[in-house]
Amino acid sequence: MKVIFKIWRQEGPNEKGTIRDYEVDGLNEDMSFLEALDHLNELLVLKNEKVIAFEYDCREGICGQCGVFINGRAHGPHDNITTCQLHMRSFKDGDTIVVEPWRAASFPVIKDLIVDRSALDRIIEQGAFITAKTGTAPEANSILIPKETADRAMDAAACIGCGACVATCKNSSAALFTAAKINHFNSLPQGKAEEHKRVAEMMFQMEIEGFGSCTFTGACEVECPESISITNIAEMNARYVKSKLLK
Amino acid sequence: MNSLFFRKMVVALTGLFLCTFLIVHLSANFILLLPESMARELYNSYSTTLRESPLIKIIAYVLYAAILLHAFYALLITLRNRKAKPEKYVVNHSNENSTWTSQNMGLIGTIILLFLVLHLANFWARIKLGIGEEVGLDALGNRDVYEVAYTLFHNIYYVIFYTLISIPLGLHLHHGLKSAFKSLGFYHKKGLQLLAKVSVIYAVIMGVGFGIIPIIVYFK
Repeated sequence: MKVIFKIWRQEGPNEKGTIRDYEVDGLNEDMSFLEALDHLNELLVLKNEKVIAFEYDCREGICGQCGVFINGRAHGPHDNITTCQLHMRSFKDGDTIVVEPWRAASFPVIKDLIVDRSALDRIIEQGAFITAKTGTAPEANSILIPKETADRAMDAAACIGCGACVATCKNSSAALFTAAKINHFNSLPQGKAEEHKRVAEMMFQMEIEGFGSCTFTGACEVECPESISITNIAEMNARYVKSKLLK
Repeated sequence: MNSLFFRKMVVALTGLFLCTFLIVHLSANFILLLPESMARELYNSYSTTLRESPLIKIIAYVLYAAILLHAFYALLITLRNRKAKPEKYVVNHSNENSTWTSQNMGLIGTIILLFLVLHLANFWARIKLGIGEEVGLDALGNRDVYEVAYTLFHNIYYVIFYTLISIPLGLHLHHGLKSAFKSLGFYHKKGLQLLAKVSVIYAVIMGVGFGIIPIIVYFK
């Protein structure tokens, strides 16, 4: 299988980047997308050229490290998967594949396809945890949580922080990410004690990091590898109003 | 008070107020479709009642404020959102994950705002401010607003323009109505499913309603 990669190359944060073409032969359709990039990098090493920098860790769709914009979609042409779950069988022999880094003012490019997503970490630092000491793992049923509530919290907690929501959003809004983190904690009894402070501070951080507003295009929930529903954003808004009223 | 959330709240609340206003506006406009003998008197006496009601006077000022605030805060939000994405993708297939309307509310809103300037010049400026050609009186002594609409909609260019503008209006209302509720924090799952359907019905009624009246009046 042969494809033409058009890949964003950028030496460093302050360098000017550009799209470069790479014709790559010898791929097969069972390769994951990242393996195809590995293959290309091996060819570049043999030619004594600089390899393409891209991020990955688990390569099984759970860590949220990999993430690039492929042919106009976050994580490639399919809905709700990570880049490592994308395989070359999704492309045809001879296809041109455009690969770009996540684009957002809050995600500056570090090198090639790698962006700095620490803005998301700083949102988490504002309250996506509970301050109480929990000790060792307690008996699971010592705090009774209705199944429905546990499921909702788990659905939100599934967020792996890959940043596809920000990348695909025309406003670079981090609302889906922040909402998932807030709703995860605020819907559980352990998170209740600090619920209002959490909403206010995490949403404030989201704002000062330079992310845009949510205008409900719905793109984020289509690209989210964990299928986190956009309803979470409406729920976060409700929590924010409640936190202001009860302050 | 200048947080992103506050701005969204202003746009959502003023948007919902404008949605409610449009229901009243369209309902009244349907009078134009009655036979002329009934329509002229009914429409003129209705508009006189509105002009002279102190309550409506207050609501009119709220309406002007709502339009200006809606546009102003939407502009602030759009500028900030653009700043949040300074570099665009070389290839972006946003149509595969979202609707064109939801991606272009600012553009559609601007078209509607420009239309609104013309629309206010056509009616509001003449009837309420007395600018331009004087509006006569009907047999009952009411200002002949019906004549203003009738004359305007016998100009084919205005008919085409008013009808075409109902398309962006319908699109804007469809995305705006359901999104306003979500911005304000309505997150009931079944409720949102219902809201999505209501938004379609509302937008179709408004779009088709406002779009078809000039055509029918033209052929009257």
